[in-house]
Amino acid sequence: MARRAHPTTPSKTLFFVVLAFLTLAGIGAYYFQKDANPYRTAEKLIPSDYYENANSLRGNVYQIEGTILNSLAWNPEKGRLFSIRVTTGDSKNWPLPILIPSSLRQINIQKNQSYRAKVRINDSGILLVEEVQKS
Amino acid sequence: MLVLDSMEVSLPDANVPLLSKISAWYPAAHFGAILGPSGCGKSTLLKVIAGILPHTDGSILWRGRNLDETDLPSGELGYVPQFSCTQPLLTVRENLIYTARLRRSTSASEIETIVDQVVEETGLTELQDRRAGVLSGGQLRRLGLAMELTTQPSLLLADEVTSGLDPKSEEEITLLLSSLAKEKGRLVLLVTHSLRFLDFYDSVTILSAGRLAYSADPRDLTSYFNVRTPEDIYPALAKRDAGTWAEEWVQVPHPPEITPSTVLGEIESEMSRAEKEGSFELPSFLSQSATWFFRRLKLFMRDPTQVFLQLSLLLVFPAVVTLFAYRGLPSVRNMTMSADSGVLDQLRETLAFTLQSSRIGTLVSGLAMFQVILLALMGSNNSAREVIGDRPILEKEKLAGLRPGSTLLGMSLFLLLLVFLQSTWMTLFVRAVCQFPGNILAQFLPFFILTAAITALCLAISSWTSSSEQASLGSLYLVGFQLPLSGAILALPDSLGTLTRPFISAYWAWSGYLQTLRDTRFYDLVRAISETPLASYSMALWILLIHLGLGLVFAYFGIRRTQWR
Repeated sequence: MARRAHPTTPSKTLFFVVLAFLTLAGIGAYYFQKDANPYRTAEKLIPSDYYENANSLRGNVYQIEGTILNSLAWNPEKGRLFSIRVTTGDSKNWPLPILIPSSLRQINIQKNQSYRAKVRINDSGILLVEEVQKS
Repeated sequence: MLVLDSMEVSLPDANVPLLSKISAWYPAAHFGAILGPSGCGKSTLLKVIAGILPHTDGSILWRGRNLDETDLPSGELGYVPQFSCTQPLLTVRENLIYTARLRRSTSASEIETIVDQVVEETGLTELQDRRAGVLSGGQLRRLGLAMELTTQPSLLLADEVTSGLDPKSEEEITLLLSSLAKEKGRLVLLVTHSLRFLDFYDSVTILSAGRLAYSADPRDLTSYFNVRTPEDIYPALAKRDAGTWAEEWVQVPHPPEITPSTVLGEIESEMSRAEKEGSFELPSFLSQSATWFFRRLKLFMRDPTQVFLQLSLLLVFPAVVTLFAYRGLPSVRNMTMSADSGVLDQLRETLAFTLQSSRIGTLVSGLAMFQVILLALMGSNNSAREVIGDRPILEKEKLAGLRPGSTLLGMSLFLLLLVFLQSTWMTLFVRAVCQFPGNILAQFLPFFILTAAITALCLAISSWTSSSEQASLGSLYLVGFQLPLSGAILALPDSLGTLTRPFISAYWAWSGYLQTLRDTRFYDLVRAISETPLASYSMALWILLIHLGLGLVFAYFGIRRTQWR
């Protein structure tokens, strides 16, 4: 047994402690990354499919992420209609119409803001926002 | 009785051992001197007996126990090193009280009684209210001895405690050691190169180039070495090879180990041990932590330079941040939402908005990062010298039973106080002056954990380096790399950013802080100008906590490792 005054640094213990911390960091990162996108369970909307035939997607729920372009219309009962620019992996920009219902009127939406939203394609083929948050 | 049996100490890559085949024995109630010219291995021998250095062969027996199997109980050993292990800002009495509190589990009144006894025993009564920093060399050596006597050790090892003293102080200390050896069957071993006061010793051990040349009664010294005066012994040693001296010494018939006086000494020593066994107990983990914490707090309050520096940083750093937005953050002008205006107007508006984004976004992002970097600087200043500055005392107290975990907890509690003050004031002051929106607690948390993490990481650096300069430099590098590698000012290439960001605490604190502005336009403007992705708030806090945890773990192992001078 080593004497009290000269303990050896347990490199194995140290290695496993560091490994444990890295594992914890990894688990946390995975968990919180998921947390960062609350709509991850919804399928991503493919803009080209929407452009091709929006009616065929009616009733489906998707997630989209994009930048607000313009306010198109406003109705105190129905809500606010915006155009939003969604950029796909091939760097193509797709302007899409999204309707923020009056129930979400407290959100101050401005031009050039980026949002992530869970949307349902309504009977008119417009993206009706169910939940939304800044991205 | 202490028995050294063919003890050897070698360094891994050295051909010649530092100590070779040292065999000697020392009875209880004995004052022995270990003598020899410089570099002969005297201090090494003492360190091996104390357990500070490991021996590579042979064995050391104390009261019949092999110390390799059962180490000396912490209260049984007193080791007084060459260098001073006192706190210059504490008084003699405070030094003794804190030492006793770290080593003995007993009531405050009993500690006072022990200190009274020790002060009287070592002749420090008149000096007990004087700060250690103003004591003379001889007085400091007395204090060093007194600190060891708080546990009434049976084995007292003193390394060159008379070196560099004036003749009068040297005589006084030697006399004091001699009187300590007469108490409670105590064995006192003194390393010295001085050949004065040979009459005071019960035995002298002479080493020559790591070999044992003599270990017996000092009165036979001159005749054994065939010299006229003791002063001629070192020149005589140099005339012959150390191995020859050692071989000759082995041939000499040694006196019997058991004599009436050694038996009496052993009985006295055994009685003292039995008496101590019932009363002596190491303080609990938390008690040692509390002692370390209160001692550190007192030292801090006693040091006006430290207090002034900390206060300056605390007040000046947040004030510097607010210089950039002392009138508050500018308002953001939004773009027209309708597409009715002409193309030219739209272009003009977009250009104005882009300029505004650049100006305000840069300001908000910069203010966040500025706070982060200044807090990181304060964190590094908190702990860069915390361990290395106290290393001699720490090592000696560890030898006397201080737990590394208790030390870490005591240090952490003190540092936590600083960290809390620094991060709270930074958050409140900058928020109040610059009128930052967002949840105040949410903004405080990333700053608090960041400062704690950098403090812990610098504590780890401090515990793994061998000099204050190295520790300061290491901590400075740690903080210095935070800004460029965070990507907050200049975006890093994607792959490099992904690789470095996990290790850069500043990035996570910056991200976490900016996430608290998520519901404001400032967040959008920062996003518009920054190419570096922002981590989510919970992720930022999590990674900062991981940094903090890693810093503390490394600091623990750094404190635990041995680093004697």
